[in-house]
Amino acid sequence: MSMINVKVAAIEQVTPLVKHFTFVKEDGSSLPAFSGGSHVVVSIDIAGRVHRNPYSLMGSPMENEAYHISVRRQENSRGGSVFMHENVTVGMPLKITYPVNLFSLAKKGRKHILIAGGIGITPFMSQIADLKRMGANYELHYAFRSPEHGAFAAQLKESCGDHLHCYIDSNATRLDLQALLSDQPLGTHVYVCGPSPMVVATLETARNLGWPENHIHSEQFLSPPIGEPFKIQLARSNIEIQVSAEMSMLEAIEAAGVEADFLCRGGVCGRCELDVLETDGALLHNDHFLTDSEKASCKKVMPCVSRAKGERLVLDL
Amino acid sequence: MEHGYWIKSKPVYNALVWHEKATAHLIIAKNQGVLVALKLFQQRQPTQPVTLLYAQDGTDYAKTLNKVVPAGLDVLNSEQDLLVSLKNIMPNMRMGLRVYVAGSEGFIWSVAEVLKTFGVEDADIMKELTDTLARTIYCVHCKAITHNITTNIGKCSGCERMLFVRDHFSRHLGAYMGLMIDAESPGELPEIEEIYP
Repeated sequence: MSMINVKVAAIEQVTPLVKHFTFVKEDGSSLPAFSGGSHVVVSIDIAGRVHRNPYSLMGSPMENEAYHISVRRQENSRGGSVFMHENVTVGMPLKITYPVNLFSLAKKGRKHILIAGGIGITPFMSQIADLKRMGANYELHYAFRSPEHGAFAAQLKESCGDHLHCYIDSNATRLDLQALLSDQPLGTHVYVCGPSPMVVATLETARNLGWPENHIHSEQFLSPPIGEPFKIQLARSNIEIQVSAEMSMLEAIEAAGVEADFLCRGGVCGRCELDVLETDGALLHNDHFLTDSEKASCKKVMPCVSRAKGERLVLDL
Repeated sequence: MEHGYWIKSKPVYNALVWHEKATAHLIIAKNQGVLVALKLFQQRQPTQPVTLLYAQDGTDYAKTLNKVVPAGLDVLNSEQDLLVSLKNIMPNMRMGLRVYVAGSEGFIWSVAEVLKTFGVEDADIMKELTDTLARTIYCVHCKAITHNITTNIGKCSGCERMLFVRDHFSRHLGAYMGLMIDAESPGELPEIEEIYP
């Protein structure tokens, strides 16, 4: 996969847990254009092991001199975000993928309701730039833990004005999804990005109120969970690979030098899907892409976030 | 036609069934489409409010409908009147409304055109085809629209060219693509057969 060479132009601590990174092209040229809601996958090398994490682009799509991402420090994860917080410094070169949009605005929408929880605000930052340019009717509902965790709340207040509604857990102000979604004009689209319970609650509320499926949009990147080690066989490459506890199947495949397709690396896009030829144990599906019946059939697996339990798993790769 | 031939743009129509999750239902039917509406009420009486717009050209089902549809029935004398009535009620509708349309293909897409202006998208509408398979065609040469074509080749109402009726469908125009069949050998026409009765 072709990558873009960038360097870190600036780093800013936005909240106690969130850092904002500015990337520019290493050769000083312009970066590729993107649309609101896009993300890039950032490659980082931690002690010889390559981590690739997806992050939403937060800047205005009108600006192509720099890309902006924000990273929340996740303590109980595999170290990618901690490395970004502690080891990445201004001037450091990094490789990123070209932007991909899996969370684009419905251009025909009459009204757009954006619901963000915590760091889930990031894809909306670029979408809002698009919405403002389009002169669209929108509302941004932004929930966070306490005032100091409201990354970008002040900046958003300035750019969105009355369109912004903040909900702060510590002030006991809560977003009432039922009330919000039960009285909206026809042609409204709802978008949600944030912690899993918030995403699930939004999807369920909208569906129960009879919102058509194509008016409901969500994005939730997963980081590959840590699990038990297991072995996989790649039938076409004719090799056996050990997947360690902290590595994803996709990372283990790449580390073995086998080329595998990927886009989001977060269980969302479906690009890395592999056919399962043989398995003797349970597949631990962690993705949001396969349907429940596809997961139950054990014929397909998303190696970016899913794992396996058992002695034998043969993949068509 | 070749076995297995399929083109993505060709609309697929289904049998109407109630959406269980909804805050209101809107059924729009014409001619035989009303039987489909009655069939819905045979399935069950939904708990949510129902509005039924019905344009009758032939058999009068109004009496039957009055008994079955508790409230919200509006019987119109023509498609034109129905579309006017639809435009009047749509501004009051909110998200959670589920829309069902039954009738000929021409009718379905005339309704869809109105609904689109109120933010209801093609994918949001459940559609069932009744009455006829007749097609509306769009002439790629003169851009005229011709209704009720039942044959594989039809005459354009605008430029009178003989047009081959393709499966390629435009949701925007509510019409299939028609292109001149004898452009390269004028006057040489294949047999004209009724295939969309």
